Parts: sequence; structure tokens; C-alpha cells
Amino acid sequence: MAGQTRMLFRHVDEPGLASIDTYRRLGGYRALEKALRDIDPDELLSSLEDSGLRGRGGAGFSMGKKASFLPRGDMEKFLCCNADESEPGAFKDRELMSKNPHQLIEGIVIAAVAAGIGQAFVFIRGEYWEVADILDRAVEEAYAAGYVGENILDTGHRVELVVHRGAGAYICGEETALLDALEGKRGNPRLKPPFPAIQGLYGGPTLINNVETLSNVPHIVKNGSDWFKGFGTEQSPGTKVVSVSGCVQRPGNYEIELGIPSREIIYGLAGGPPEGHEVKAWFPGGSSAPVLTADELDLPYSFESMADAGSMLGSGSIIVADENVSIPHLALRTARFYHHESCGKCTPCREGTNWTVKMLERVISGEATPMDLDVISSVQDNIIGNCLCVLGDSMAMPVGSMVAKFRHEFEAAIEAGRDAAPRPLDESPTDVKPVPVGAAG
Amino acid sequence: MTNGEEITLVVDGVEVRAQAGMMLVDAAKHGDVEIPVFCYEPKLGQPVGACRMCLVEIEGIPKLQTACSTPVRDGMVVYTQTDRVQEAQNAVVEFLLVNHPLDCPVCDKGGECPLQDISMGWGPGKSRVIDPKRHFQKPIPLSPLIKIDRERCILCYRCVRFSQEVAEDEQLQLLERGASTFVGTFDDRPYIAPFHGNIIELCPVGALTSDAYRFRARPWDIEDAGTVCTLCPSQCNIKLTVRDERIQRVLARDNFEVDDGWLCDKGRFGYQMIESPDRITEPMIRQGGTLVPVSWEQALEAAAAGLRDAGERTAAVVGGPSSNEEGYLTQRIVRGPLGSPHVVSTYDDAVDRELLLELSRPQLAASVADIDRAESVLVLGTDPMHSMPIIDLRIRKVVRRNGTRLAVATDRPTSIDGVAEETARYSPGAMSAFVEALAAETGAEVYDRAEGELGADAERIAGILRPGSTVIVWAGEPSLAVADLAAQLDAKLLEIPAGANGRGLREVGCTPVAGPGLSETSTGLSPTDLCEALTEGDVEVAFLVNADPVRDAPNGPGWNEALQKAKFVLAISMFEDGSTKHADVVFPAESYTEKEGTVTHPDGRLQRVRPGVPHPGNARPMWEVLAELAGLLGDETGIDSAGEALAAIAQDVPFYARITEGEIGGLGVRWQEREAARNFPLAPGARPERSSVVVPTSHVGTTGGVPGASPAPASDQLQIGTYRDLWAAEVTDRSPALRFLRPTQTLELSPADAERLGLNGTPEVDVRQNGTSLRARVAIRERIRPGTAFLVDGLGDGAGALARHAVEVSAAEGGE
Repeated sequence: MAGQTRMLFRHVDEPGLASIDTYRRLGGYRALEKALRDIDPDELLSSLEDSGLRGRGGAGFSMGKKASFLPRGDMEKFLCCNADESEPGAFKDRELMSKNPHQLIEGIVIAAVAAGIGQAFVFIRGEYWEVADILDRAVEEAYAAGYVGENILDTGHRVELVVHRGAGAYICGEETALLDALEGKRGNPRLKPPFPAIQGLYGGPTLINNVETLSNVPHIVKNGSDWFKGFGTEQSPGTKVVSVSGCVQRPGNYEIELGIPSREIIYGLAGGPPEGHEVKAWFPGGSSAPVLTADELDLPYSFESMADAGSMLGSGSIIVADENVSIPHLALRTARFYHHESCGKCTPCREGTNWTVKMLERVISGEATPMDLDVISSVQDNIIGNCLCVLGDSMAMPVGSMVAKFRHEFEAAIEAGRDAAPRPLDESPTDVKPVPVGAAG
Repeated sequence: MTNGEEITLVVDGVEVRAQAGMMLVDAAKHGDVEIPVFCYEPKLGQPVGACRMCLVEIEGIPKLQTACSTPVRDGMVVYTQTDRVQEAQNAVVEFLLVNHPLDCPVCDKGGECPLQDISMGWGPGKSRVIDPKRHFQKPIPLSPLIKIDRERCILCYRCVRFSQEVAEDEQLQLLERGASTFVGTFDDRPYIAPFHGNIIELCPVGALTSDAYRFRARPWDIEDAGTVCTLCPSQCNIKLTVRDERIQRVLARDNFEVDDGWLCDKGRFGYQMIESPDRITEPMIRQGGTLVPVSWEQALEAAAAGLRDAGERTAAVVGGPSSNEEGYLTQRIVRGPLGSPHVVSTYDDAVDRELLLELSRPQLAASVADIDRAESVLVLGTDPMHSMPIIDLRIRKVVRRNGTRLAVATDRPTSIDGVAEETARYSPGAMSAFVEALAAETGAEVYDRAEGELGADAERIAGILRPGSTVIVWAGEPSLAVADLAAQLDAKLLEIPAGANGRGLREVGCTPVAGPGLSETSTGLSPTDLCEALTEGDVEVAFLVNADPVRDAPNGPGWNEALQKAKFVLAISMFEDGSTKHADVVFPAESYTEKEGTVTHPDGRLQRVRPGVPHPGNARPMWEVLAELAGLLGDETGIDSAGEALAAIAQDVPFYARITEGEIGGLGVRWQEREAARNFPLAPGARPERSSVVVPTSHVGTTGGVPGASPAPASDQLQIGTYRDLWAAEVTDRSPALRFLRPTQTLELSPADAERLGLNGTPEVDVRQNGTSLRARVAIRERIRPGTAFLVDGLGDGAGALARHAVEVSAAEGGE
């Protein structure tokens, strides 16, 4: 399709791509053969680092560099592919895995060999049970074909691969919570340092990468890092699968070259809002990214440009809101999600998300005053940077940005709420009763 | 830069010296800078950085960092007072108060509450929260001893971490998620675990409160008094909360070398026994069959007359909780003016003096903290959970945090089996045989390597033990093989005595084989022989000092008869019990909260027991009473204070020489680490002549032959072992809060034996041996060695007498 640059999605429309035969027929597993037979692991690692591939899960950290942090030497090391895609607005990994699972498996095995890792896991969110089934079948095929397991392709390399299904918690997409969950514990983030590269799963050095990041690896190995750098911008090389959703005519996944104007994605590829409607706000990187406005539609879609604009590219999920969307409701919806998903381990996130929801509910119901908007903003500031992991920030950044950029809408919502539901003075705002043992009120 | 190296950092512009690797929050204290914390508690292990209260600014790091989890480096520049840091601190306090009820005026914690203190010191000072707070039913019992108020909980994780990572009972969990998270147990079951009281102290708010202490006092009503708990050999350091001269609460008084700052629930709630209305508070004389209160003069006269008449036909039984001073003065009375050699302080038959010396030698003695430094630990012949509970926590700690290798070799399964790398089971009574096999495996040539199962077990256990870095925690049958094993491995020994002050009492002379300082003396009767001699009339007078042999001796019924037959019984006791029933004169005993004196920890640490509350009624300091009694019998001791009693001990026990109360201080001092340890009566290298060591044979049951090699019981019989359950104690019965923990007599047996004897599904059985019979519930336990079964000792039903006997078991007649 015009405007797209398909690398990971190159054969996405090919029927039966999920089977190993089709994948192989289309050139699959050649990169693995090359990586294992012709390149030594150190070289492999440096070519990944040279390619400038940045993590596609949200943080955008250099994948090769992360892999190079793992200590060398003979010890039990782990690779965890983070397939706990739970961010509202993100659905790229689902398609990458369900359509082309072998591309991911190939990437995992190459990355594992490069970092000297013998045991790999795919931690897939429980709700992706259909995808997990596809992945399970693909892993079975790959084992049977000798691409995974003992003595891969008779090269002496060993990589075991296990697909593990999560139990449905957003927090388990946080890399250290993922490790705890994988170990069978309650999925709570760990304190960093130590970073997983040094002390991760079961205390061993662990490389954790997103599905899309690892799916890029075979292409880099096959074509070289210079070829890869030919795509995208200097600081954001390669392509990106962007999930576009919300008020657009053609929502879906689009693979684009990093750095193209954002307008081209939202309007060109996704068709923009329905006829007669205009973009009011958009999340450039999932619901945890600070919102941007229509004035910012021409910014290049890259890690650095989004950061300069005060937001982030994150997992590359664009959510579009047109003028019919109430920003206070959007803020409440966003806050409720993070309130529901907060693990509760650290204070600012646990209490901050909870308090923010209560305040936003008052905004909608007309029980707030404009001064409460200052409290909401200040609470978001108090969350950002003070938490154990970034979940708290993930609510505070978009909510804070919405209050800052659309304050007039919040003020109007307070007025409207008050008018809509006049309340007798003697009625208490909420019904507060002790609840049974064990339940929270 | 290595950990421990002296480094310099700058905190708020002040240069602070600290050790590299120390957490910033601790290092800052060296510069008098306090960084507030809630979740940080080094006793719980690695920091978790959850509460975010300790955020500070560190030069070179863009984000604020948690001081609790940041190890200090040389040249680090830290700010704890900048606007940015203050904003973060204000924010965290504000967040914590979003859901905290602020019911401080009716909260037990009010006035000693870290949340109050930190809100005052680091909070914003005003609230912006107008939204409703979360609500729970409250307070509800988390256990029979603890109430939980989930509204007050600030979710700091301390209690959960304790349960998961210290006690490892894993019962406390965080349930639900986010702001709905709450602390609870699976399926709301009561949290019943022997150390769970510690979470009350760990809680930084009033969410976990002691049921027994709720609404009893406010912090401004109370005083603290430090002492040592003598309810078991752990001798944990405690702090009494005293209001109006009554004990309201017991808290831990951190002493890393002794207890790591933890307490068991017995020590924490057992104070209720001391406040019991049933205490004996006045001296009494038996008149017309009943004990009637009399004056001290009358009682002392009567006691002196009774003892004087019997003279050398007197025997003293000194109980475990007695202080060194009480023990010393008792044996001095018995050995001196009365001229009798019969002094015992344990019901296990004494070893001879040579073996005692060998096993007590300072070079072999492990300190409690040596466990932390050892690469491997062997638990031999005892379950620390029951015999010295606080050691159970320490062993768990070193296995978890240091990767220490643990081997357990016992007759009965222990509570630490789960963290042990290897476990071995031998039959009750076969400990010595096992130790000899183990010593042989480690290379001691005087023993033959064992064949078969015994040999294989010994080999497995030996494989765990690291030469030069092993601590052997043991109890049970003393034998030269224990010393040989230690010598072979260059290991250190920590013996857990049966009584709380077992070691101290032995060292001040309360043993029939040695006088004060383990000196040579004419040998008295062993406990078993003593019981018999009393029954036969060869010994006429029993002098019981804080001892209740009817309950505590394995042969309780035998002692009951012995005391009944005795011509005269003088008892020093806190309560009227099975032994005072036979007493002619009773002196009211002091508890460890009233007593002044010293005790000696199993690792040789002398500790001070100090009075925190006044004596009840007419009770008097026992050292004073005993000194007076000695005077009446003609030994003018000149002892006019507890300090002088200690000085007399220091005079007579060469390896305690010149020790004073001041030197012992608040944390105690190990005699092995003092200069005077050189005075130990056995030269460092000297080993006793093998032939001179007598192996006690009275341990072996009547079915037995050779020690350790108990014959296989007949097919319908079981070889019985007994153990003293942690809760099979007077304190459980006398403390209302603990009463629910009193064990029911239970026969524990292996699934194979249950099958063989047709006991599957049988709730109760009768256990019979040679005319005696007792009733027990049945518990089938996987890890019990087939052919063996266990009963609880110390319940007063005579189970102890069945130890090492083969018994017949059948479904209870007339039972359910």
C-alpha cells in the first residue's frame, strides 16, 4: 500500500505464512542459517548494535546495546520476549505473531545466540490465547525442523524456547514484573538496579525485548546493518508498525518508515477522521503518551521528534480523537485504566491513580471546582518520576497533558455536570458503607 | 572499591564517612541526616523501594533516587533538603494519607507512629483530599492474637515480607491490586504461625495491633524496661512495656548477636503468665494438708530445719529459668552446709565430667552469629523450632540470603527440612550411632564407616558439610562422637540445652558431675537415679528451684511418686503445680521480669535479667532468700546484692573471672571471648582419654541393647520418640492469649505404618506400653521414618516415659 514500507509485514498477506513451509519458501530462516554458520556471536552482537535498532516496546532503548550489557561467560542466561501487549491502542504484536510467528522465532534464536543465551521465553498476555496457539504450533514446527533446541542446524548452538501465557495484568508488560510473573510470583515490578541484564529471571542475566524488536533481527542479519540504516532517520532507523485506532476511517496496523510526517499516517494511511470531522487530539504512542493536538500533525513520526514535542513514540500506537470526543471523559477513561492496572506496590502510583480517578469523576459529575484542576495537575506532577516503575507516569503524563492543553474543556465539563445534575445540599456525594471483609470500597 | 571500604560522601553539604556498599539511608545517619522511610527495614532483607518516602537527589543522576536502595560510593553528593526532594517527600506523605483514616486519637499506635512522625517532619502540613477514603470492615482478627485494620494500612509490605521471606510461613499475602490491595491470608484463614507477632512491631501504622494490648495504654502512659526472656534457651532480648507497674506488652530489643531483633510469640505474649492472678505471692508452709501463707521468717526457719535434718540426703533440682545466681547459691547450699553432691539442672542423665569439658571447651563453641558466617550448618538431634525457635529464623535467613548449605539429621522431621539440602532420619535413641557414622564419613578413623542405609545417610549429610566453616546446632545424646565430628570438620558447636539457662546452670555447678566452673567434685546421682533414690528413701529431701519435675521430666509420674515419698520438699515456684502439691515449704519465685541476675546463653553469652516490675505481694529477690537460707544453715555468704552474688560466681567459676554487671551491659558478653576463657579447666589441645569417657547407657530403652542400635520393633509395634513442643509449656496454659495453642497429644506416624496398622482414618488411638496407656490423636506425616512414631512431651500425661520404647497402638476404645 502506498505510504507503507513493508519489511516485517512484507509477506503479511501471503496465505499460510504462519506455517514453516510457507515461511521457508519465502526466504525464512536463511538469516538464522547465516547467523549460526557464517557469523560469530560477537560479530552478530556488534552488527545488531551497529544497526541502531531501538526497542519497539515503548522505551526505545538500543537493542544491541541492551544485549551487550549481558555478562559474557558460562552461566545460565535468559531471553524473554515481551509479548504482553496490553497498552490501550497497541495491537501490532498480535498481528506480527499471528501472521508471521516464525519471523519472531527466528529473531529470538538469533538474538539468543548473539548474547550466548540458552533459554528463551515468550511471555504472551493471557487474552491472546488464539495467538498463543499459533505461536505454540510454530514453536513446535521450529523444534521439529531443528531451528530451536539442542544443536541447532548442527552448529552446536542450543536455544530452548517456551511460550508462557500471562494471567491478564497490564503490569506484567513491565519487564521486571514480567520476570516475577514468569517465576510464578505476583507480577510486581522489581527495584532497578540491578537491571535484568545483570540479574533478571531466576537471578540470571536476562535480555528482554519486544516482539517487534526481535522480529526485526532476521532482516538486519540477512541484509546487514547498513541496509537497515537506510530506512528511517539517523536516530530512528528502520520501519515501525503503527497501530492506528480511534476516530479514523481505516484503523489498523501500518508499517511505515520512521520519520515520515504523522499526518501521512493518520490521514494518508488511516484515512483520517470520518468526513466532516477534524482531529482534535491524538496519542502518538499509546494511551500512556502525552496527547498532541492538530497543530502537531506535521511532526515527523520518529522517536526523537515525538520526544522533542513533549510526548513519546512509545509502542507506536496512534489513537485519534476528533472534535466529538470529550477530553475530560477521555482523561477519566485513561485514568481508570491505569488505576485498575496499578499493581499497588509503590505509593505514588497506587494512591495517585486512585485519587486522580476520584477527582476526574467529580469533574464529570460537576462536583469539582476549577481549583480541583490545579490539584489534578499537581498530583500528576507528583507522580511523574517518583514511582517504582513507569505505570504511574503512564497515567500522569497523558492526564497531565490533557488538563494542560484542554483546560477549558474541563472547566466546561464541571459547569455542564453541575447543571445536568443539581443535587440537594443534604445528599451526601457518595454512599459510604463498610463493605464485607476482604473487599475494597 | 570493595564493599566495606571506608569512603567519604557529602550529604547536604556535610562530609560523611561510611562503608562502601552501605545503603544511603544508613550512611546519612553518620552525618546526622535522617531520611524518612516506611518500607525499609534491613532485618527483612533486601530493600524493595516501594513506599518512595526516601527519595533524594544525587548529583549526576537525573531522577530522584530511593536512599534505602542506593549503596553509597566514594565522592557521592547527596541532597535531602532541596525543594525538589521536599516536594517529593510532601507528595508521598500526601499520597499515603489519601486513604489513611487519621483516627489517631483512638489508634493504639498514636504517639509512637512512624506515619505521624513522618507526616509531621516531612509532610505538606495540610490536606487537599476531600474525596472519600476506602473502607473495610474493621478491626477484624487476622489471627487470635492480632487485629487488622485495613483502612489504616499504608501497604508498606513489611508484614508480608516478614511472612514470605523471614518466617517463610508464606501465609500473609497481598490480595487484590492497586488501591484495592489489602493484606490478608488465603481464604481469610487465621494467620497462625509461631513468629507472627513480629508483624505488630514491624507495622509502621496502627493496622496490625496486638489483641492483648489494644486500648491498654497510650505511649505517654508507659515506660520501657529491658530484660532477657527466659522462657527458652533463645534468651531473646526484650523490652517490657510497663504501665502502673504492670506489664502490658513485650517488644523486641534488637541484639543481632542473639536474636536478630525477632521474638517468637511465646516470648511476646507469655508475659500474661506473669500477670496471672494465680501467682504464688507469699511464702507458705503446709499445715494440716494445705499450704498456708506465713511470714518469710517462719518459712525460712521451716525450710532451714527441713534441709538441716536431711543434710547429705538432700537433692536439689534447679529448673531451666533459674538465674546463674539462683543456681550458684542453691548448689552452694547443697554442697556446702548440707554436704550433699546431688544437684541436677536437667532431667537428661548427666554425662561424665570429661565429656562435659570436651563439649564445653571454648575453642569449639560457636556463637549465634557464627551461623551467619558459616558456609554450612548441620542441625543435629533437634528441631530448633521447638527447642530454640529464634535459631530457626536465623538458619532460614542464612540459607535464603547467604546460600548457606543446610543439613538436618534428626529422629523427628523438623520445620526446617524444607530449606535443607539434605535430611536424614534415624530411629529415636539412635543419635549416637548416627553421629559416629557421620564422624567416620568425615574421616574420623576411630569409628568404623557404617554400612547400608545408615552409611548412605551419613555420607549424604557429610557431603554438605564444609570443613573449617560449619556450625553444628545440636541437642540430645551427648557423646564423644559429637566432639570428634566437630574436631574432624574443624566445626563449631552450638548445643541447645533443655532448660532456658541450661548452660549457665551447668557452669555454676548445677550438675552432679562437676562443681562451679566445671570443677572436680564428688559425683552426685543422675536425675534418673535421683528419682529412684527419692522413691526408695535413700534421699529424703527435695529442693526444687523453679523446677516442676512432675511436668517437665520425661518420667513425670515417677517424679510424682518420688516427691510424694520424700520426707520434706522445699519448692520455689511461681505457681502451685504438680510438684508444689508435695511441698512442705513454698517460696514464691520471681519471673524474668522481676528478677535481677545473670543467665548464660547456649553460646556462652552472659546476659543480664533485670527487674522491670515490682515483685508481686510478698515475693522477694531469690538470691537474697537463698543467701539468707545459706546463712541459717551456717554458710555466711556475705552476699548483700545481686552484684555480689555475681562476684561470688566470678570467684568460683574461673572462666567467668572478674565479670561484672557493668561489663555484661545491655547486650551481654561471651565468656569465650574474654581473657578469662584461658582459665577453662581443659587445655586447648588436650583430649580426654577415650577409655575414661563413659557413654551413658540409661538412654537406651528397656527394649534396647547397644546404644543407638535399637532393635527393630515387632511388626505390630512402633518405636516411640518424644519431642517437647514449643507450646507444651506452662506459659501456654497460664497466658490466656496463648491458651489456644496448647497441643493435643498426637501420635505422628508414617503413611506406611498407618497403612500397616490399619490406622488410616482413625482419629484417635490408645498407645500402650508395659501397662501404661495414653490416648492420642493420629497425624500421618510423610517425612517420618517408618517404624518410628512421635508423641509430645511436657503435656503431663507421661508420654515422656514412652520415649525410646516400642509401643502397641490401637484405635481408641470408646473414642469417637
